[in-house]
Amino acid sequence: MIKRGIVESRFVFVIPGFVFHFLFYLLPIILMIILGFFSWDILSPMKFVGLKNFSDLMKDKWFWNSVVVSFKYTFLAVPIIFVISLLLGVLLQEEDTFSKVMRVFFYWPYMIPMVAAGTMWKWLFSRNFGLVNHILTRMGFQPVSWLDDPTLALFTVVMVQVWVLAGFMMMLFIVGLQAISEEFYEAASIDGATNFQKFWYITLPLLRNTNISVITLSIANCFRNFTIVYIMTTGGPGYATTVAPLYVYQKAFTDFRIGYASAGSLVVLLITFVIAFAVRRVQEGGEMEGVV
Amino acid sequence: MKKVIIIVLAVLFMIPVFWTITSSLKSMNEIYKYPPSIFPEKVSLEGYINVIEQSDFPRYLANTLFVAIISTIITVFLCVSLGYGLAKGIFKYKGFLTEVVIVTLFVTAQVIMVPLFVIIRQLGLMDSLWGLIIPAVFTPTGAFTAIQYMKGIPNEFLESAKVDGAGEWQIFSRIVLPLSKPLIASLSIFSFTWRWNDFVLPLIVINSGKKFTIQLALATLQGQYGIPWNEILAFSVMAIIPTLVIFLLFQNLFMKGISAGGLKY
Repeated sequence: MIKRGIVESRFVFVIPGFVFHFLFYLLPIILMIILGFFSWDILSPMKFVGLKNFSDLMKDKWFWNSVVVSFKYTFLAVPIIFVISLLLGVLLQEEDTFSKVMRVFFYWPYMIPMVAAGTMWKWLFSRNFGLVNHILTRMGFQPVSWLDDPTLALFTVVMVQVWVLAGFMMMLFIVGLQAISEEFYEAASIDGATNFQKFWYITLPLLRNTNISVITLSIANCFRNFTIVYIMTTGGPGYATTVAPLYVYQKAFTDFRIGYASAGSLVVLLITFVIAFAVRRVQEGGEMEGVV
Repeated sequence: MKKVIIIVLAVLFMIPVFWTITSSLKSMNEIYKYPPSIFPEKVSLEGYINVIEQSDFPRYLANTLFVAIISTIITVFLCVSLGYGLAKGIFKYKGFLTEVVIVTLFVTAQVIMVPLFVIIRQLGLMDSLWGLIIPAVFTPTGAFTAIQYMKGIPNEFLESAKVDGAGEWQIFSRIVLPLSKPLIASLSIFSFTWRWNDFVLPLIVINSGKKFTIQLALATLQGQYGIPWNEILAFSVMAIIPTLVIFLLFQNLFMKGISAGGLKY
């Protein structure tokens, strides 16, 4: 029916997109690998140093510290995001006006620019002028140094991450919950199941694909977080909140060690890819849920 | 009972926004008062006026709008065209090319900023607004959304147009584009919002204050000594308003369109 020559000409439509895709997605990855073998401060000529950057990286205590901070950050944030967004999803799954209006309040933080979000929270948690400490002192507690205490700072930053992502994940849960047929619940009611039993034995298992999407998307989003930390703590106090992308940024743009920073980004990218492939593998069984 | 829980949670979620807005309406004297007042004792626009008059805000706004609008136009063109080609074309390596797009869905500026910086520099785009546009116009998420959408257009439409003697370009412009209005709307809104919110790219590309975008200016403002918080917060409120308006206008698209396009890039 269709002449092959004509259809093949549709290849033209993908060319412009792939030119940009190559330049700004594939080339950076290739370049990152190449630069990893060079020593370069942007101004003087590049010098080939073999595997030196990588062996230095292995010994760089603060680089591995930043990777650990990223993992801590991620594995602290993801369970909280999961529980809160599932709760919100269950509470707001109805398509009535009240639910629709209330969803806006939870989803909106996701739309707020991260820079502004970080700024707002920094002020909310300000030691002397923040609302949180104001309420605490009113209740008779001592004011807390939310962002100056090494242990607490990470929790505070995680809170902002939860605030940003929970509403988005809530929407994934709502879509998933609405897809569950009423019949399951009716059958369970006839058998005398309690609400909790229905949730535990019907809702959660049937949400499997949504659960996977939410968890993997949350992990990917948290692991590469840069802006919230940059705005709220710039990685401090000390290196307490220096996540891996921030460390790489500092090596490249404060110390001008482009080659070294490239080697570091390569490690971060590999970790991201492992997570991404894990997502794809787990998702292959089920439907994609419209999310990748 | 359920409604009470929801309302309590919503109030908790909105506390940062509430505290930002009320604080931004305080005068400099009041904002540094201890203990702080919950509501401004006297509503003052001092912060807003100072930001607009002293910080070059109109220029940041113009820069950001320029970047966001131009990027969005190019993004829509690139993604719609690529989505159509990959969904409806038949050529060698099509599956492989689709796979290449999907693999990079998780690659974002935060992860590749060092080599991205080198490429932008080689292209001579440093410290230029085009350096914020060109590297950001193609997004794997946008492309993926477009591919998925184009797959939903029935082949019969394209074939019957061909039988009627339409050329490839005519099929695209007269059949595919009109059918893609929802896709174009969704891509435009998401792209505009993400470009407006962008921070990592401006951070590595822009050096001179004249070229600052709103987000970069807001971040830089906080690093400067002696900028009072009522101004920083007034700036934050103004940085949020445009995307809030878009969000409220196109709520359904954002909330229902939880496709790949919703994923922050």
